Amino acid sequence: MGMRYEYTVETEDLAKYYYMGKFVVKALDGVNVKIRRGEYVSIMGPSGSGKTTLFNMIGGLDRPTRGKVYIDEVDISKLDAYELAWLRCRKIGYIFQTFNLIPVLTALENVMLPMIFAGVPREERIKKATELLQKVGLGDRLSHKPTELSGGQQQRVAIARALANDPAIVLADEPTANLDLHTGLEIINLLRTLNKEKGVTIVTATHDLKMIDVSDRIIYLRDGKVQRIETRSEVAVEYEG
Amino acid sequence: MSKEKIGTWEIGEIKLPFSEAFKISLENIRKRFVRAAITTASIVLGIAFMVSILLMAQIQQVARGTPETIKAYQYWLLFISLLVSGVGITNSMLIAVAERYKEIGTMKCLGALDRHVLTFFLLESMIIGSVGGIMGYVIGLIAGVVYGYTQFRPEDLIGALTSPLGTFASLTIPAAVTLFLLSVVLAVVLTMAASLYPAYYAAKLNPAEALRYEV
Repeated sequence: MGMRYEYTVETEDLAKYYYMGKFVVKALDGVNVKIRRGEYVSIMGPSGSGKTTLFNMIGGLDRPTRGKVYIDEVDISKLDAYELAWLRCRKIGYIFQTFNLIPVLTALENVMLPMIFAGVPREERIKKATELLQKVGLGDRLSHKPTELSGGQQQRVAIARALANDPAIVLADEPTANLDLHTGLEIINLLRTLNKEKGVTIVTATHDLKMIDVSDRIIYLRDGKVQRIETRSEVAVEYEG
Repeated sequence: MSKEKIGTWEIGEIKLPFSEAFKISLENIRKRFVRAAITTASIVLGIAFMVSILLMAQIQQVARGTPETIKAYQYWLLFISLLVSGVGITNSMLIAVAERYKEIGTMKCLGALDRHVLTFFLLESMIIGSVGGIMGYVIGLIAGVVYGYTQFRPEDLIGALTSPLGTFASLTIPAAVTLFLLSVVLAVVLTMAASLYPAYYAAKLNPAEALRYEV
């Protein structure tokens, strides 16, 4: 990989308006953020502040009304449908509040799915998916279907799936909102561990205050605008040392 | 396909091997068996009706030696019954798509292209169509045979099944085989045609909207 770009994610005057009859809902209104490679960033704000919209914009899931999103310094508004699919497949891993595992597939098959789209050979897919599931502590649950797993276990499968194609960024939208306090903390610690070990950039949209302890920076959103950005200075010192 | 370069990225291929797509579609049918069974029933009834009407006409023709015994209104009934089957399938597939908004959104997040989503739904309808065609054939055949057995001599019944089917006389294959092929082909074509709009709709879903949808 190497240190090729300083910023993995960069937004420039990013705006998304929803038109509802005569009303305009400004879900995002001129957001400028820069997220460094390997950073763990939390986007905090009350519901309706634009967290999920920002998540969708950075993830290449929706087009902005105004402004730009750069991933690895590539302006993703310039990508066509095929290139966007490739971006979602190879560069970004997604984690959702509701886990969103494919219900008809086993844990192993769920983790293998992004690798199928990426064209990874079968043996390699099985090997890597097994390793990832072992890494998230589910080595003994490979052939379980999502309905046979607890919420915390499902989210672990989702984390393994998000890492399947070694993405540059993992985007997590409220990853702990459907979990109890203890399980939520486990998931947060797992994300932090993977962030440190694999150097993957993690961006979480959350209103879970437990997230603050592990984040390098916290971006506070309010009414579609960046209210303030807090840096965890002690964490920064630890990294530079 | 040659790799395209954008910035420092080399845009590679996005794949979905047929075997994997088929496996996932089959799993989807197994997992949502009740809905699949209802969709299948719709096509089974249409095909069974068609087979029984054609077979009864064939038996009458062989037994009495009169050439044309299917009346215009019977063809009309046949057409209407198949149309009703088709509408039923479209309705059922639209519900299947609505049920899976979030799953479709997730698939797109993992790298699925529009045509992959289309493939999943069309493969599913193809499997349902084949099974429905075969089952419809068997039920229609039983109905026709029971009718023939009670009304005519056994040799007429056997003659009707083994001689070429009226309108397909030039093919010189037994009516039982012709009806089987007709049932399966028609069932698959009808099911896939009826699923085309729902599958296209699913494929075109914007991932952000699909994910927002709460079932």
